[in-house]
Amino acid sequence: MTIQVKREALPDATVVSISGSVDIYSSPELRGELKVALDGKVRKLVIDMDGVSFVDSSGLATLIEALQKVQAYSGKLLLCNLSAKVLGVFQLANLDRIFQIRETREAALEG
Amino acid sequence: MADRGRGIRVTIPSDVSYLEPIRTLIQEIASLAGLPREAVNEVELAVTEGCANVIRHCYCNSDRERIDLSFAFADDFFEVRIDDYGKFVDPSRIKSRPLDDVRPGGLGVHLMRKVMDEVTYTKNRWGGTSLTMRKRLARPGEPRKDRSGR
Repeated sequence: MTIQVKREALPDATVVSISGSVDIYSSPELRGELKVALDGKVRKLVIDMDGVSFVDSSGLATLIEALQKVQAYSGKLLLCNLSAKVLGVFQLANLDRIFQIRETREAALEG
Repeated sequence: MADRGRGIRVTIPSDVSYLEPIRTLIQEIASLAGLPREAVNEVELAVTEGCANVIRHCYCNSDRERIDLSFAFADDFFEVRIDDYGKFVDPSRIKSRPLDDVRPGGLGVHLMRKVMDEVTYTKNRWGGTSLTMRKRLARPGEPRKDRSGR
């Protein structure tokens, strides 16, 4: 697989850490991991993308889907630790204006 | 694709698990062509989107078909051609969604057009679609094109 996903339940948030390539091949696995958190209606979902080396439109679609589900139950979704390369893809699609993006995991957990 | 003197061709199955190795190959070819790091990243993205569209829309997610990729480069451009053996897709039907209509999907074509300088669809000799994408290489001292759209 081109992706590793780890889910941690903290007292005030659930953190999903991703590493590898988030593309059309790996997105179904990410969607499955996010679904577990979203089905539990976590109030705050932090997606730590520290280890993500590549993201394509399928990866963006998976994250948009998660954001819309969180918003539907008035939860919060934050992204953190995006590399310049990955952030660049969000900017190409104007999604840096839609997602709440923080530089660090700590900032995401606070915000 | 015209003879540019330098280039490489590769055929892959229409299997999404092959896109990661193709990106690795692009890193090597693009380095050979002298593309700056940011441009290499953009070519990786465009080729991934192009192949993903072929697999999803042309081959209906079948992993038993064939995709041909040709990479060619000269002093002032880097060109990628993606050929499929499905039905020709009318370019006027290939559209991306408006960016302010935020929903999953519909971004692949937008990303390709955004990061490459030329994106053209033509009917190939097998009756399928040939997607040719070209990236102009900046001359030394020439500022890079702002692709953020801001």
